[in-house]
Amino acid sequence: MKLLPKNKLVPIISSWAQRYTVLAPSSTEQGECVFDIFKEETFTLEYRKPSLPPKSQLLPQSDVIFRVEKGTFREVLPERNVLMFGIRSCDLMGLRQSSSFMSRDTQDIYYRRRSDHCLKVVMACAGPQNETCFCTTSRSGPSATTGFDLQFYDLGDSFLVESGSTEGDELLKAGNLADVDDKDTVEQVNALRNKAVAAITEVPDVTRAMEILSSRGASEELWERFGDKCIVCGGCVYVCPTCTCFTVADFPSGPDTGERIRSWDTCLYGGFTKEASGHNPRSTQGLRLKRRHEHKLLYYNQTDVQEALCGCVGCGRCSDYCPVHIGTLEVVKAIVEEQS
Amino acid sequence: MTNSIGEFEDADLFLITGTNTTAQHPLIGSRIINAKERGAQILLIDPREIQLAHFAVLHLKQNIGTDVAVLNGMMNIIIEEELYDKEFVEKRTEGFDALKALVSRYTPKIVQLISGINATDLERAARMYAQAPKAMILYAMGITQHTTGTDNVKSCANLAMLTGHLGKPSSGVNPLRGQNNVQGACDMGGLPVVYTGYQRVNDPAVKKKFEEAWGVSDLDDKPGLTITTMMEAAQRGDLKALYVMGENPLMSDPDTTHVELALSNLDFLVVQDIFLSETARLADVVLPAACFAEKEGTYTNTERKVQLSRKAISPPGLARSDWEIVVDICRRCGYDMNYKTIAAILSEINKVTPSYAGITYDRLRTSYGIQWPCPNEEHPGTVFLHKDQFTKGLGTFLPCEFKPPAEVPDSEYDFILTTGRVYYQYHTGTMTRRIEILEREAPEALLEINPDDARRLGIKNNDMVEVASRRGSVRLKAEVTPRVPRRVLFSTFHFSEAQINTLTNPAHDPVAGIPEYKGCAVNVRRCE
Repeated sequence: MKLLPKNKLVPIISSWAQRYTVLAPSSTEQGECVFDIFKEETFTLEYRKPSLPPKSQLLPQSDVIFRVEKGTFREVLPERNVLMFGIRSCDLMGLRQSSSFMSRDTQDIYYRRRSDHCLKVVMACAGPQNETCFCTTSRSGPSATTGFDLQFYDLGDSFLVESGSTEGDELLKAGNLADVDDKDTVEQVNALRNKAVAAITEVPDVTRAMEILSSRGASEELWERFGDKCIVCGGCVYVCPTCTCFTVADFPSGPDTGERIRSWDTCLYGGFTKEASGHNPRSTQGLRLKRRHEHKLLYYNQTDVQEALCGCVGCGRCSDYCPVHIGTLEVVKAIVEEQS
Repeated sequence: MTNSIGEFEDADLFLITGTNTTAQHPLIGSRIINAKERGAQILLIDPREIQLAHFAVLHLKQNIGTDVAVLNGMMNIIIEEELYDKEFVEKRTEGFDALKALVSRYTPKIVQLISGINATDLERAARMYAQAPKAMILYAMGITQHTTGTDNVKSCANLAMLTGHLGKPSSGVNPLRGQNNVQGACDMGGLPVVYTGYQRVNDPAVKKKFEEAWGVSDLDDKPGLTITTMMEAAQRGDLKALYVMGENPLMSDPDTTHVELALSNLDFLVVQDIFLSETARLADVVLPAACFAEKEGTYTNTERKVQLSRKAISPPGLARSDWEIVVDICRRCGYDMNYKTIAAILSEINKVTPSYAGITYDRLRTSYGIQWPCPNEEHPGTVFLHKDQFTKGLGTFLPCEFKPPAEVPDSEYDFILTTGRVYYQYHTGTMTRRIEILEREAPEALLEINPDDARRLGIKNNDMVEVASRRGSVRLKAEVTPRVPRRVLFSTFHFSEAQINTLTNPAHDPVAGIPEYKGCAVNVRRCE
């Protein structure tokens, strides 16, 4: 571990910014915090749960895969090296699950290329970032155990910085920082972790709902009730760290020029599963919601989920943002309530 | 809207009519659903079984174009049963006796004959609305797109004033605007009778103010033409040139066969748009415009909130911001218009528009918007309108008699066709039809037809059918669904392959000029 006084933070990030596109928490003119390209003037440590997970850095909302020019095509592969500073451990778990999924059956080279050139610096949470955090249940936080390049623990005036990779070690060389690997420091970090874990309430409904789904399942009425009020905005999917579905479309711009673009899609749209005949195996919004939630809580792939509980990483964003309250927390609660 | 979107949280009842809110204003729709879940009641008056019907305590399906009769009927019941707000009527309104006299003829029995709404249901609805502590009326184009659109709106206002559901938080009359800046376009004088902030062109003091602000003399004090009357004038040959910005009348205006004739009859047509729309293809000159992400400017949303929008990327090719194009056109026409920035334009708006006086560029830059009226820079903006008194002082009841739609079904054209939009496509599709996912979700025009009618006519789901009105015919696929009542057909105007406005009636409201998109007589048959 290294000790980084807070007044050395901006200089060290600035030095990283010479080699990487650094994304860091930044305040907007309206006083919000977003993850944006690091600038000293807008950089802030006053942030909680960023409203969006960092997945768009590896799977952009829309992404040119190849271009056709004068009848020949040229693949477009991403080039830049990115360093994400200050992401939360739940989001790191989201990236790890998605990375595994994107390389398990087939190599998604566009994702892979970005993922290979992306360093992850985690800011360990000292407690819940808001009332919907449930990483202690989903086993994805409040701090990361592996998969990061660096992890920061806030000590007040300084950070304890833990390296998780050789790239992480390399990053720390820039700062000329003091080593602090004594017993006291280890205990201090353990105490911080334990305090954070204790502060984040477990949500037993999640595991109970998983058990119910894997045995008798939730009723059709429950899903239809949610389906009735879903406004099909797809917001839960877009804010989800582990949703990676996309669609591909061609955009001709002239007789022999154009682009193939892939962009985010969602299983909550009817057309996602509609067949060429017009038949749709997931014919109602209720069935589409059922599939989405069961994918997170029941049909997840054990390899992809890593050490986490399931395909949901407990960030709580779907519960934060769904305009009609169909987030994971509301769904598991309804599943459990229905059975009792 | 007289209220704000945030006020939905505290309303006890929503009277929803002529708005498919979850499909066309989904975030407002979601607030209604949330309100219902915490105990608010939904009273729906709509011919179609829209998503909100699942949440409504009462769904009244009126015959199309009978809104005035329905609203008069409700007012009659409220007055008869003395459920109206006597204090509000006495202190804040005038013309109650005339209203009472007129609506007294609209007994529940008579309204049932006109509207098809069961008399008992109407009574229940009237009582619920009148007795709710806080009630909001929500409407959209289902109220306005009729030859009686103005009367429909007046009747909504009469009902709200009668019950005192106005000028208070979570109580008011709320037209939901169908485009992100249609409110702003109207506020900025994009109407033939007013300058910015609804200052009338024929008011000498207003005329003088604008002449001074712009350094000109002899501004025209006569009202101009509405779109529908422009098309009539073009067809007669009285209108020689037309400059269309961000509008696609060849798809969106009623009776498009005649619109095409009218546009072809012009000496000169200019279209300024972000894509080469159907209308732009007919133009003599096309001016490429920047889209929302490629320019800076403000939008005013349905709750009167002015918001600043930033430029995220540069426009492609020769495209430029609309305001830059307009400035250049004016300069070449000999007027030295010399705005350099959005801020300079907004500063002029602040000077000449009392309701926008305090909505300055700097305040917008550091906030998420300000709601008008906002008379000065210290003013926080106005959350709901008509507190304590109306703009004109007392609110005047403007009672209206029921008038049927301009075209009603007969033996030859035995269905009524009503038009609208679907969730995934927007207006004439100039933008949304280029988006692959949206095309996947809603790739073609469908004609909603009731199962009983479909059976009678031998029409099955997905059959090609031909719909014809006195003005033309269109072929499209049938969607057999109980969403529409018998003898009513519904379709959308998004698709150029099945241009539904070939069928619609250009008959329009005498005051607002809005055409009767919501009802015209048609027949339908299965294509062989």
